[in-house]
Amino acid sequence: MNMMSDMNSATACLLQMTDEHFQLEDYQSGVPRWCTGCGDNAILAAVQRLCRDEALRPEKTVFVSGIGCSSRFPHYMKTYGFHGIHGRALPVAEGVKMARPDLTVFVNTGDGDCTSIGAAHWIHAIRYNMNLTVFLHDNQIYGLTKKQASPTSPIGTKSNTTPRGSYLEALNPLTVTLGVQNVSFVAQAADWIPEVLFDIVKAAYHHRGLSFVRIIQRCPEWLPKALDPWMHDPNKVLLLNHANGLQASAGLSRVYKNQIEHDPLNIDRAREIASDTETIPVGILYNNPAVPCYEDLRQSDKLRTADLTRAGLNAELDKYTVWPQGAEQKVA
Amino acid sequence: MEADTQAHVAFFLTGRRPSQHLDAVDGLKLRPALFAGYRELTQLRYDFPLVLVAQPSNKLFVQSLSGIVDAALSTAARGSNAERIRKHALRMEQEIRVLVAGGASGSLSTLWDKAATRLARDSDNTLADSLRRTRKAITTDGELADCDAALPARLLQHAWSAVQKQKSEDFRKDLDRLVLKLSDILKADFQRSEAGRSAKHLKEAVGSGFDNAFDFDAMSQLLAKALPKDAFPESRRKRIRELLAVLGAQQFYRSADAAPKKGTAKPYSFLFDSCAGALAAFRERMPKLIELARAIAVAELEIDGQYSESKHDALFEQFGANGLDPQDLAPFPDYLVCVSAEKMLPEEQSQLMEILSSGLPIKVLLQIDDILEEATGGEGNLAAGMRSRQIANMAIGLNEVYVLQSSSSNLYRFREPMLRGLAYRGPALFSVYSGANAKASDLPPYLMSAAAMESRAFPAFTYDPSAGANWAARFYLEANSQVDLDWPVQGFAYENEEHQRVSEDLAFTLVDFFASDRRYARHLARVPREKWNGSMIPVDESLSRERKGLPDKVPSLLMVDADNVLQRVIVDERLIREARRCREMWHSLQELGGVHNSHAEKLLARERSAWEERMKQEAEAHAEAAPVAAASAPAASATAAVAVEEEAERSPDEAYIETPRCSTCNECTTLNSKMFAYDNNKQAYIADINAGTYAQLVEAAESCQVSIIHPGKPRNPNEPGLEELLKRAEPFL
Repeated sequence: MNMMSDMNSATACLLQMTDEHFQLEDYQSGVPRWCTGCGDNAILAAVQRLCRDEALRPEKTVFVSGIGCSSRFPHYMKTYGFHGIHGRALPVAEGVKMARPDLTVFVNTGDGDCTSIGAAHWIHAIRYNMNLTVFLHDNQIYGLTKKQASPTSPIGTKSNTTPRGSYLEALNPLTVTLGVQNVSFVAQAADWIPEVLFDIVKAAYHHRGLSFVRIIQRCPEWLPKALDPWMHDPNKVLLLNHANGLQASAGLSRVYKNQIEHDPLNIDRAREIASDTETIPVGILYNNPAVPCYEDLRQSDKLRTADLTRAGLNAELDKYTVWPQGAEQKVA
Repeated sequence: MEADTQAHVAFFLTGRRPSQHLDAVDGLKLRPALFAGYRELTQLRYDFPLVLVAQPSNKLFVQSLSGIVDAALSTAARGSNAERIRKHALRMEQEIRVLVAGGASGSLSTLWDKAATRLARDSDNTLADSLRRTRKAITTDGELADCDAALPARLLQHAWSAVQKQKSEDFRKDLDRLVLKLSDILKADFQRSEAGRSAKHLKEAVGSGFDNAFDFDAMSQLLAKALPKDAFPESRRKRIRELLAVLGAQQFYRSADAAPKKGTAKPYSFLFDSCAGALAAFRERMPKLIELARAIAVAELEIDGQYSESKHDALFEQFGANGLDPQDLAPFPDYLVCVSAEKMLPEEQSQLMEILSSGLPIKVLLQIDDILEEATGGEGNLAAGMRSRQIANMAIGLNEVYVLQSSSSNLYRFREPMLRGLAYRGPALFSVYSGANAKASDLPPYLMSAAAMESRAFPAFTYDPSAGANWAARFYLEANSQVDLDWPVQGFAYENEEHQRVSEDLAFTLVDFFASDRRYARHLARVPREKWNGSMIPVDESLSRERKGLPDKVPSLLMVDADNVLQRVIVDERLIREARRCREMWHSLQELGGVHNSHAEKLLARERSAWEERMKQEAEAHAEAAPVAAASAPAASATAAVAVEEEAERSPDEAYIETPRCSTCNECTTLNSKMFAYDNNKQAYIADINAGTYAQLVEAAESCQVSIIHPGKPRNPNEPGLEELLKRAEPFL
């Protein structure tokens, strides 16, 4: 018995008859078209594990994505999904959540999708703080279109659009997120540490509000060596421990000795850690459950039935109706 | 002890039948129960008869009739008539088998026609059509050979002729080339000579067409002025003439001309029926052989213009004085001697040993028709076939003899080892048991020889010194069935009194083989059905029991009589003793063949006990360290201890994946989805280490994005390129 199934009991009770024992394969749909070796596979495995462990019912779960390698994610989940348009994963997800607050909504977006064309939506989604779980699959390149530099590409990245190397310092999605008002949950994971990845995914899911998880992800096809310095030197990974955050396991601590205690409520320290680009901080940087959600602030007291929706729509459309002569009385 | 059992035990110990409840087996026409299904061989499909291919090619000198029919059917039996054609062709095959079993001989095509007329008598014209189409698809022809007394010699001679024919062609080609080149040298010399430049010769050389256009006298004078400076030495001319004479007079291979000219000597024969004859011929021909070999060597030098008298004269003077090595002998024909083990006199045997031990290129077929003969010691002294087996074992001991031992039923499967033996540079011994001893057994030779091999009485093996440096490479025992068992075990099913199907596993032992020979009937006694009891146990079980004092169980055999009724027969101790001896011999062969090798097992036991000792010590060391840790940090130590234990279990030689660190990237599972699989967290582990090669393990370790695959040490020491793989695996161990 877990907390979420209690919270959703209003709708869940009707569906208790269904089999609640899920396997990982129950959430698998189709064969991923990602390259062999791609970090997206690790994210998929972690998210499917979450769904199984939390017994999320497929018909009550939605994955919304934009465009890019990462955004093929909904295709491989046997749940509801929305493969949206470029950069607009977050507004679509917000709409879904607004209309159906009973659904669990996940967003999968890439570094190009989120931090470039979708940057405006990203910032406002954080400020709105709706109860969504957002995974930023950050492989620092446009992979689907075969190697163009993205905002998070490190300076000097040679690509098809920057043959002489990119000119600008890479954008840091963590500091940007931590700089926006109403931010409530920011974490960073690396796909090559699946244990922490899963723990973070789980914590993000349990956070009420917009949980923003940046997942540093290898692209074996277009930037095969880019993350090698961090992968091959465990000391360049900084594990964040805290009683209110995560605790590294014994097995993990043997490999990753570089660890600090970090209180997820301390936003200044979080910003400091996030600005460090030498090491990759892995763990929960910031987690403040007290930030209000937009859907709570704007919750309507009316029950959203089909009739209500129809009446609302009709009233809206009626504003533009050209009435035939003599019909005024009818309306009155 | 019951009276019946007592009588059985008495028979077991003494070989006498005291009670009326034990019957003699003579005249009951019993055969081992496992042979019940093989009563009518012509109804079965098996390797025989063989077709000795008329135009043998490199590897293909013999084919089985069923193989030929199958090959023909695979092209002929197509389309809507396939089933009909197949049925008719198989009936044809059976008819040929019946003809051959009836004593008919001839080539496949003649017997085919004969069988076709027989079949055509009572059938419609669809049969003729089927047979015509199948016949069209058969491309080979040759003499048919059934499994009989003549088979070993026929088959080996056929293979030998094929090899010699190829050798002869190669040699001829070489010789013709030498003769042509040497003649060219002489011709060129003549052209430069006085006579060669005479007007007469020049005229002849140009031909009659230009008689008027040319003034040959003037030309001759012109040419005479341009005398070559360096004259052709007379000694060289003489030497070349001599070489040509030697090459022309060789008798080792038939000359290329169809009808040899008068005056040239007849070519030698290399086929002998006694070792003495072959040895004498070899010695007699030795000087001629050395002369020819020297002539070839000198001729090669002459052609290249490399022959220098000062250097080579002395060298070739001594050529062959110390005999020729196998390298030099290789192009010359091999001798084939076919002898029968039964008729072999002691002198002959010593000649055979001389041939085998002196490394001469002589191939010997030692045919054994009867391995069940009683030794000269007479009554009670059963030295079954030991004599003939001795020779093969001794030959192996000589270390450089190619030895092939097989019963004739297995010869077809051994066709390639046979060719290898014939191609081997040095002596080869083919020890073959034909099973054709009609007076001793009612069984056809094929069954007898198959039974001898199956019962380990005459195991099949090859020993090929050219295959490698060690026994593992040289010795091949796997042709025997169920090679790792003492006796092969086969399923046997029958119908009992209640008409129910009963099936059990029967071991085919040496005693079963003895029981098919009527000379051993007195060692067996039939027990009537009503007297069957639990004290009768199978022979293999009896052999594995240790005997102390009086036996309470008697070994017994299941046999069938002429009406296919199951009979139980008890065996006396002599046969059991013999079977035990046979089993010991088989064990030593197994060891040579690497099965249950005692050295390896000893080593393994030692290593295992050392490993266990080490593990025990480590475990004790942990046990001592654990309480200290527990005192300081109880919560942490529990997990730490688990982790440490996990690590201790891992040997660096063992392949494993650090599953919790797997990032599900599909690299390894794409490489081999049987070897690598995902657990229920979609993280990889090694599902079946035997489902792939070490190369794949190493490749997976290299391609693993998070380097968590540890390939360990290779499990198959014969995998190609191991050295390189081990080097690649090093960073991941």
